[in-house]
Amino acid sequence: MYHLIQEASGWSPGANWDSLRAREARLAWGLVSPTALVVFGLIIFPAFFSGWISFHDVSLRNLSSIFSAPFVGLENYHEVVSDWAFKFHSWRSWGAAITSVVYSVVSTALTILVGLVAALLLNRKFKARGLVRATFLFPYVAPIVSVAFGWRWILDPRKSGVLNDLLLRLGAIQDPQAYLSTRGLALILVIAFTAWRYFPFAMLMILARLQAIDGALYESASVDGATGWQQFRYITIPELRYVLGAVFMLRLIWTFNKFDDIFLLTGGGYGTNVLPILTYQFSFSSFDFGKGAATAMILLTILLVFLALYVGFFVRRGEAA
Amino acid sequence: MSKPNSGEEKLSFIGHLGRWINWPKFLLATGLTFFLTSILFPFYWMISSSFKSYAEIGSVRPVYFPSTFRLDAYQELFNPNSPQFWNFGRNLLNSFRVAGPTAIIAVILSLQGAYAIASLRFRGKEVFLNGVLLIYLFPAVLLMIPLFAMLSQIGNVIGFGIQDNLWILILTYLAQTLPVAIYMLTNYFKSIPSEIEQAGLIDGCSRLGVIWRITIPLSIPALVSVAIYTFMIAWNEFLYALVFLNSSEAFTVPIKINMIFNDPTPRPHVVMAASTITTIPVIILFLSLQKFLEEGLTAGSVKG
Repeated sequence: MYHLIQEASGWSPGANWDSLRAREARLAWGLVSPTALVVFGLIIFPAFFSGWISFHDVSLRNLSSIFSAPFVGLENYHEVVSDWAFKFHSWRSWGAAITSVVYSVVSTALTILVGLVAALLLNRKFKARGLVRATFLFPYVAPIVSVAFGWRWILDPRKSGVLNDLLLRLGAIQDPQAYLSTRGLALILVIAFTAWRYFPFAMLMILARLQAIDGALYESASVDGATGWQQFRYITIPELRYVLGAVFMLRLIWTFNKFDDIFLLTGGGYGTNVLPILTYQFSFSSFDFGKGAATAMILLTILLVFLALYVGFFVRRGEAA
Repeated sequence: MSKPNSGEEKLSFIGHLGRWINWPKFLLATGLTFFLTSILFPFYWMISSSFKSYAEIGSVRPVYFPSTFRLDAYQELFNPNSPQFWNFGRNLLNSFRVAGPTAIIAVILSLQGAYAIASLRFRGKEVFLNGVLLIYLFPAVLLMIPLFAMLSQIGNVIGFGIQDNLWILILTYLAQTLPVAIYMLTNYFKSIPSEIEQAGLIDGCSRLGVIWRITIPLSIPALVSVAIYTFMIAWNEFLYALVFLNSSEAFTVPIKINMIFNDPTPRPHVVMAASTITTIPVIILFLSLQKFLEEGLTAGSVKG
């Protein structure tokens, strides 16, 4: 854009153009190089290095002389795949791989659903809407440690826990329950927590799209006698299709990568162990870095499948547009 | 127009009863009540619990309204003379020492990067931009092991410790936040009419002069939101701090709270007090700059 103006205004000093352009490129690279360096050194290189570690026997013992670590081929992968914590056993004990996928898909779907409802509410006009909208973002901006421990305190297994107290008073339960250390229930609660914490992101994206829908569509629909539900079903949902898809993929990938939420809520126990936590446990509890890296590489492989879907989604979107 | 106020809603509900129930308003009020309760109660519970005494926190029934504002928990955190002292001030300072430099350096580097992408022509721009964006879909756990191994190698050679080194954390947080920061700023810079910069260049300003005298003053709000965004990420970060910090002297706030939580004698009021102190600055920062941050959140799809 800027260059078009430059050329149209006849400002470009013909003969020097090439050297000027070279100077511009040099300046540009000078400006981006610190970022390029940080990103390369701390993300791109480590990502490849992680692959290298996953094929070697690296433990705390030889960490200081890592390049002499023995090559073990696929042994780390074999150990991970046959690890009790990783593989599927029965419907009662899923293993981290299946739990990860179930947790991320279900909690992402729930996050989007709650975000959609919140966005539809905020799309109506009412007093103090700005304030309510800001409040809706609290779970997303507050530190994860604070909100996770806040919820743990509410779900406290003792009689003095808020949820226990409420349910006891209502007569729904006879004895206090240990919600986060009950298999099954713990996973459901972790999913609910994820939706509680991340729905504001979905809400903001959906709300931005909702407010861009042409009001004339609804007017003509109501002239034609469409009910509120029909307008929602045949105007709102189709208009939101792409944003819902994009938010779903983004959140799916991020949720799949998430470590903190589950670690702080259950520590990965009671049927809530997911691949990021397993990676942490292998590397920093048993100090088997090779096995940890292999777990992370498996996680990355599943992630790449998600990413392929994500890219495919945008390519199709680009063709449609 | 419809009103969210549940009191008025009740009146209109009763008033219309028998004639006609205003469903949309009723649903709106119910929905808002549900959302506001489930969002605000945990925060209320956190703050009110922090003002309870040890007896109140350990009572058989939960105390929904503390009888008086007791500062027992805050004493434990900050007062060196209290029987159980956590030296939380030190951890707050650590968190500031990590989040502050992260924010400042991120603003400078992303300003440079975003300016180059928005206004300069250079080979490899698309690769750079796409590469940077792809990166923020990368899992943090994948990088944790190689970073740990790599940095301990480098540390051995150059002679610095990677354990308890706050600069290591700053570097990793920069790597995590720069992509989004650059993306946010690039969008903003593209909205500045290039004629203004042109005028500066014609008047004899150098490129750097243009950046300093024209671009920066025009982008203060965007730069501030990048600073706040990176500050918040660094302030809230848990995993890398857990991996790279060993001694409670060097802990940032989230790791310290985790440590207090895992204390053999449960002290929920102290955990809640520390959580309150950690949360308040973030919420205040967010509310004061909500407009800019929200634009950033949607434009840059801030990772979280």
